[in-house]
Amino acid sequence: MNELAGGVIEISWVQLAISTGFVVIVGILSLRLSLGLERDLAVATVRTFLQLIALGLVLRWVFGVDSPWLVVGILILMMAAAAQTIVKRAPDAPPGILGSSMITMLLTGFTVTFAVTGLIIQVEPWYRAQYVIPIAGMVLGNSMNGIALSLERTFADLDSRAGEVLALTALGANPWEAAGDSVRVAIRAGLIPTINAMAAAGIVFIPGMMTGQVLAGADPLEAAYYQIVVMLMVSAATALGSVLAVLLSYRRRFTADGVYIEKGYRRG
Amino acid sequence: MLLTAEGLTFTSHADPGPHVVLDRVSLAIDAGEIVDVRGPSGAGKTTLLRALARLLPDATGTLSLAGRPATDYAPAEWRSRVTLLPQTVAMRQGTVRDNLLMPWSLKVRSADSAPPDGVLEQALHDVGLAEIALGRDASRLSVGQAARVALLRAVLTGPSVLLLDEPDANLDDESAAQVSVMTERFAADGGAVMRVRHQRGDVMAHRTLRLAGGHLTEVGS
Repeated sequence: MNELAGGVIEISWVQLAISTGFVVIVGILSLRLSLGLERDLAVATVRTFLQLIALGLVLRWVFGVDSPWLVVGILILMMAAAAQTIVKRAPDAPPGILGSSMITMLLTGFTVTFAVTGLIIQVEPWYRAQYVIPIAGMVLGNSMNGIALSLERTFADLDSRAGEVLALTALGANPWEAAGDSVRVAIRAGLIPTINAMAAAGIVFIPGMMTGQVLAGADPLEAAYYQIVVMLMVSAATALGSVLAVLLSYRRRFTADGVYIEKGYRRG
Repeated sequence: MLLTAEGLTFTSHADPGPHVVLDRVSLAIDAGEIVDVRGPSGAGKTTLLRALARLLPDATGTLSLAGRPATDYAPAEWRSRVTLLPQTVAMRQGTVRDNLLMPWSLKVRSADSAPPDGVLEQALHDVGLAEIALGRDASRLSVGQAARVALLRAVLTGPSVLLLDEPDANLDDESAAQVSVMTERFAADGGAVMRVRHQRGDVMAHRTLRLAGGHLTEVGS
């Protein structure tokens, strides 16, 4: 075990092998209890190794290259992947929400990430990958979950309220007036996990980034300040992203004449 | 003629595959008239009402109201004059007053003022709902009461044409009779009514149309 200057205790291949040993024990348990999870467990373990080592190598390379174009390119790739995930997680949503998801990720992702790195942490130069990429990852990962939840909920709720939406439209409501209740319910649903995480932070769990910084030898109070900044900004990103994504997409379930397209009237 | 429709056509793409529900349907209804639409279930009676209210995605054909083509009206404005009351009664959360006044919370009526409580109370009284307070939670209304409140809500907005989809299905006789009285009163005041019904027969309708196989025919009176 070598202790580095920064206070991090390095992990060697031996330690990695020990941790894998515990997973092997779980695999044996799975066999004995006929849980049928051995294969999934093995695949997941291998994926954990490969993906995280690949991530480590890529980040090491990116930190070395130190180019603003590379950093921005990686952010755009991350946002595209997030937008794709959102579309997959909202199967009931109308076609064409990939575009609005992408716009949402770009707007909230860039704004919030660079608000944190530029205005609050004041990273020099502005594109320093060591700060920008992990913070963008937290912002995007969390807002992606909130946005997917909000979109999924919007269209599920509209379908379950289709009768009321028709009655409202028949009395002269426009799409916003007819869909408003569902939009509000959905945005609330997207925000609740974030609000709960903020309320429980530090009592129920030590947030991930703070854990990492403390393990890396940072002063716990300094780490707490960082975590507060990130949590607040992530909440803001989730809220802005959910609102934006839902507002950009709910109208797609209505015709140009403002009629809600019920399940029986959808094609394909 | 108050409401006319020409060449209304609609093809359904739902199960069991593409089929023509409305095949160049034309009709005309005069002010003061009550017209019933009958026909086998699944024949497209509800679809016809939705087409007339401009609430049917992908329907084609021309509509006009009091001689003005539908294209002269914004969709919401058209619907506020040719108003459909869907078969499923949709009460919103809140009180009976909230529900009756809901149409005035919409942008399409932003220039109109909502009726005061006195008018609402009188209207409830006129349809046999005098015992219902305006402050009553709408979710606690019976099926028959909710159906009458929903009809009253549509009537109070003062449309020219009312399209009623099975207005008295699942109602007890007393509630159904009150719905008929309301419908008659609306027509007597110069409104036109088109009703889809198959349960009760009464002598009130001036004309009866039959929809089958996508075609609408007049039934001899």
